[in-house]
Amino acid sequence: MTTMLRELRLSLNQTQRVRLQSALQRLQDMASLASAVTVVADTIPVNHEDSILKGHGTSDLNGEVVATLCGVVERVNKLVYVRAQRARYKPEVGDIIVGRVIEIAPKRWRLEINFSQDAVLMLSSMNLPDGIQRRRTAVDELNMRSIFEENDVICAEVRGFQHDGSLHLQARSQKYGKLERGMLLTVPAYLVKRRKQHFHHLENYGVDLILGCNGFIWVGEHVNSNGENDMMVDQENREGLVNKSEVGQATYEVQEQITPLEIRKHVCRVANSVRLLCALGFSLTVEVIVDTVEASISSNTDIKDILAAEFYVQTAEREVQRRVSLTRRKG
Amino acid sequence: MVGLSEGEKRFIRGGIAQDLRTDGRQRLHYRPISVETGVIPQANGSARVRLGATDVIVSIKAELGKPHPLQPDKGKVAIFIDCSPTAAPMFEGRGGEELSTELSFALQRCLLGGRSGAGAGIDLSSLVIVEGKVCWDLYIDGLVVSSDGNLLDALAAAIKVALSNTGIPKVTVNLGASPNDQPDVDVSDEEFLQFDTSGVPVVVTLTKVSRHYIVDATSEEESQMSSAVSISVNRHGHICGLTKRGGAGLDPSVILDMISVAKHVGEQLMSLLDSEIAAAEASAEDQ
Repeated sequence: MTTMLRELRLSLNQTQRVRLQSALQRLQDMASLASAVTVVADTIPVNHEDSILKGHGTSDLNGEVVATLCGVVERVNKLVYVRAQRARYKPEVGDIIVGRVIEIAPKRWRLEINFSQDAVLMLSSMNLPDGIQRRRTAVDELNMRSIFEENDVICAEVRGFQHDGSLHLQARSQKYGKLERGMLLTVPAYLVKRRKQHFHHLENYGVDLILGCNGFIWVGEHVNSNGENDMMVDQENREGLVNKSEVGQATYEVQEQITPLEIRKHVCRVANSVRLLCALGFSLTVEVIVDTVEASISSNTDIKDILAAEFYVQTAEREVQRRVSLTRRKG
Repeated sequence: MVGLSEGEKRFIRGGIAQDLRTDGRQRLHYRPISVETGVIPQANGSARVRLGATDVIVSIKAELGKPHPLQPDKGKVAIFIDCSPTAAPMFEGRGGEELSTELSFALQRCLLGGRSGAGAGIDLSSLVIVEGKVCWDLYIDGLVVSSDGNLLDALAAAIKVALSNTGIPKVTVNLGASPNDQPDVDVSDEEFLQFDTSGVPVVVTLTKVSRHYIVDATSEEESQMSSAVSISVNRHGHICGLTKRGGAGLDPSVILDMISVAKHVGEQLMSLLDSEIAAAEASAEDQ
């Protein structure tokens, strides 16, 4: 508990410290009741009559199976393994991820996605800007930079693994693609749980929130994913192949639209709420984020004070309330 | 360095123009600062300062030495900064050296005053034990543990805190029979003298991004800078040193403007640091 307080690097006064400590203690008590977690060197009970397979995070010690990781014991038929509590992102097929282009290679983009290796997005596994399904030609290959450049932030979906273990992505829909007018936040991947919906348009605020399963979170101004705005850019891009200099000018003008201050305030508020929840180590779901944003508005908290001591304590206490009411509803 | 897409760069620049930066701060707001003292037990004084994700440690070691023959009535102070490879991959090997020397030089200029030692933030004459014979040499070593922009301000703040945490052993001197003899010096293990740190300045770095300037830039914001001016301000609001980084030139009037802003911001930072130092020392005593 004290280590957690130290990690937060907050200057709390005495009452705030006591309040935060008690809130975190209650959260910890609730968590230890809820799920059976193992810590390193815990014995994992197995039936020795059945033959078992020891998987990741387990080891044999004096005829007993012990955990070598902190996490949750998973059993699949004969296999017993420990799913680590805090681990690097491990992609699964269908995950929606946010990544950054680091290299353009023949017919593919290489993306940094917080995984142990880089992901690959093939030119053939994404929709072309003109929206026509056709064979990718050499000209398309030459114009790859007009779709994504180095350092661009894009979102895509995990398509699958190749035989060599490398990861392939796809972006076969209008909702995937380049992200602009916003910021990328990096949080530990285990804070983002896989859900049905990872794209969120917070309509009250005009903010787009993409919770990438890999722990990259995009907060930005809302753009219509299939509206006129994109079409306009697409058309210009298409013309760009014909007349590059002229269209370069036009796209530049479209992009140069500045985010209005009102929306920027909301973007910053959402981003700081994400940072706060991440520092407290709470799971990032859209409900909790919106809840935090609303609480900050209703308590008249300044945007930068979301990351200050008092709001930390309030958020921790609110989370306790939320979990108490959840368990009550269940019980 | 930090790779940012065009969209993100534009968002950062737009935010600075609208006086609302990506973390909700205004142009002249610092990130929350956290201060710890006495982090290295072997040193005479040490401090750790965190500014957001920037994390620096400074240790101060006092050793007995001989004053410079040209300045027999002054002690010596040396500042070395090291950038740890854990802070950024580019600091690996010799990669951090250039930045380390740049930071050391800037800090020397901002804190130590002229070559003669006049006007130094640290009172050098208080370091002398026997004039011309024995003095204290202060070695100020800084380590950048994690880097998220604005290293100079963080290091200067850490040096200031570490100096206020420094205890210099009390010495008793037995002068030799003849004036040419090296005097006997007896260093006390128990009694320490506090150091006068009221004159040590803080450094305020103003980073210019397009038409505006900001304080306490994160590394993302630093990647967008055209130039940065570091101004050291002491308690009286006097400017002790000034360094400029970055290639783009500045109009003299802008620099004057920056100086007056830095003076104002520096006063706030100074009082903030003072209260943080008091709090850190109180908590160190509690433990």
